[in-house]
Amino acid sequence: MLVDCDIHIGYETLADLLPYLDPPTRELVIHSGSNGLVMPSYPWNHPTGWVRHDLYDRHESHESNFTYLSLEVLRERHLDAYDVTLGIVEPDEAAAFSILPNAQLAARLCSAYNDWLLERWLQEEPRLRGMLVVPAQYPEAAAREIRRLGGRDEFVGVFLPGAARIPYGNPTYDPLWAAASELGLPVAVHTHYEGVGIAPPITAAGMPDYYAEYHTLCGSGMYGHFVSILCHGIFARFPGTRLAMVEGGLVPFVGFLWRLDANWKACRSEIPWCKRRPSDYVWEHVRFATQPLESPDDPAQLLAAIEFLRPSETLMYASDFPHWDFDEPEQTLRQLPAEWRDNVRARNATDFFHLPLLAPV
Amino acid sequence: MSGREARLLLTEAPDEGRVVLVEVAGHEVGLFRVDGTLHALANRCPHRGAPLCAGSVATPIEAGDNGLRLGQPHSIVRCPWHKWEFEIATGRSLVDDRLRVKRYAVRVEGDEVVVGNRDTAAAAPSTSQTSLRHDAADGHRTASRHV
Repeated sequence: MLVDCDIHIGYETLADLLPYLDPPTRELVIHSGSNGLVMPSYPWNHPTGWVRHDLYDRHESHESNFTYLSLEVLRERHLDAYDVTLGIVEPDEAAAFSILPNAQLAARLCSAYNDWLLERWLQEEPRLRGMLVVPAQYPEAAAREIRRLGGRDEFVGVFLPGAARIPYGNPTYDPLWAAASELGLPVAVHTHYEGVGIAPPITAAGMPDYYAEYHTLCGSGMYGHFVSILCHGIFARFPGTRLAMVEGGLVPFVGFLWRLDANWKACRSEIPWCKRRPSDYVWEHVRFATQPLESPDDPAQLLAAIEFLRPSETLMYASDFPHWDFDEPEQTLRQLPAEWRDNVRARNATDFFHLPLLAPV
Repeated sequence: MSGREARLLLTEAPDEGRVVLVEVAGHEVGLFRVDGTLHALANRCPHRGAPLCAGSVATPIEAGDNGLRLGQPHSIVRCPWHKWEFEIATGRSLVDDRLRVKRYAVRVEGDEVVVGNRDTAAAAPSTSQTSLRHDAADGHRTASRHV
């Protein structure tokens, strides 16, 4: 059994969501701007393309910078090609709904996207499971969306982008965490749209110049949310809460945890709801997706660097299909010790997302 | 079972910027043309094993005196998966000195191009390229296949 925790799909254009929108929002999407509503997007472009070049004909593709691939291509080139048992679908451009200044519009777009995802993908392909896209900038509406669809088997978690107006541990998000806890749904924070829309700059250093800089630093939002969620005691305050960190790398989390554990010892009185060392909560509540697996020249250095994360219990395989930094399953697993592989291949993800065991692990 | 050599008509050899796939001893090999010379490289990226020829034949961008400059036209192939770039004439990676795409020997016999096995190329690298006048074969938008 193989579970892929990070497959990206997207609509071809926002117009695909029109049938799923309420009439007033449909009018807004059609008539906004010069040629309809446009999502905020990255100021940095990958110099040779965002998507694996063997999956589409560049000359015939639209000019947008997000991914549109058909279900047929996803089946043929990924699900069938690698014998993926279950794939967790993360958004592409729909991740930008959370960085729209207009929170009410964002909420309606999220609902339309989730209905589109359910009808066009999840109900069409039984190997896929969805992550609910919610308006993070409007936590009460996010909670309503989680309660509206979160009970369905097709959805297995809640997606939040790395870009946000404020970090996800802040009490303003309590309604969102309460709803996820109530439904027993994990939350995945995935790098997306840092420095774009209503999100602050990608780091306090200011605006980087190059895509290579952006892509090196894009986990910065996730690290901020990770520390915020731990310091606000989300895991203690909302029972059963589970958190996945997706596409933020692995090694940086080790350094932040060591530093946070040390700071907790000195500053415990400021955050007394953290009754245990922050890292103690991580082993029980947090899981990390493998892609992009750091690749030092000496593979032994990677294993030494991530050992503190208890990888056998906390890593879940992710491909990031169809993006340019896609990680193939067996190549990822071969870089890890044999005794970790069954857990990373499927067991950690089936436990975390409460997935059915559809084949031997 | 395919032979130890692949043969195709000269008119079927790729234009610059294109790639034509052939099969040699059971392995897919991409035939390219750079500055009039044919080169053959394994259709396998030495980084993570991607089908290299499904990527793009491109012109390298280099640092110039006043910014950027273009290098030899259509002289690199860019992997479809992780976008690493390889020099077609040598197979060498532009980003990792340890990596090189396997090269195959290319020679012309009459009106045919013969792509030999890689052992020949390794033993006699000077035979791994063949200068040809730029024939006006119809361009292939994507890799075409002669097996």
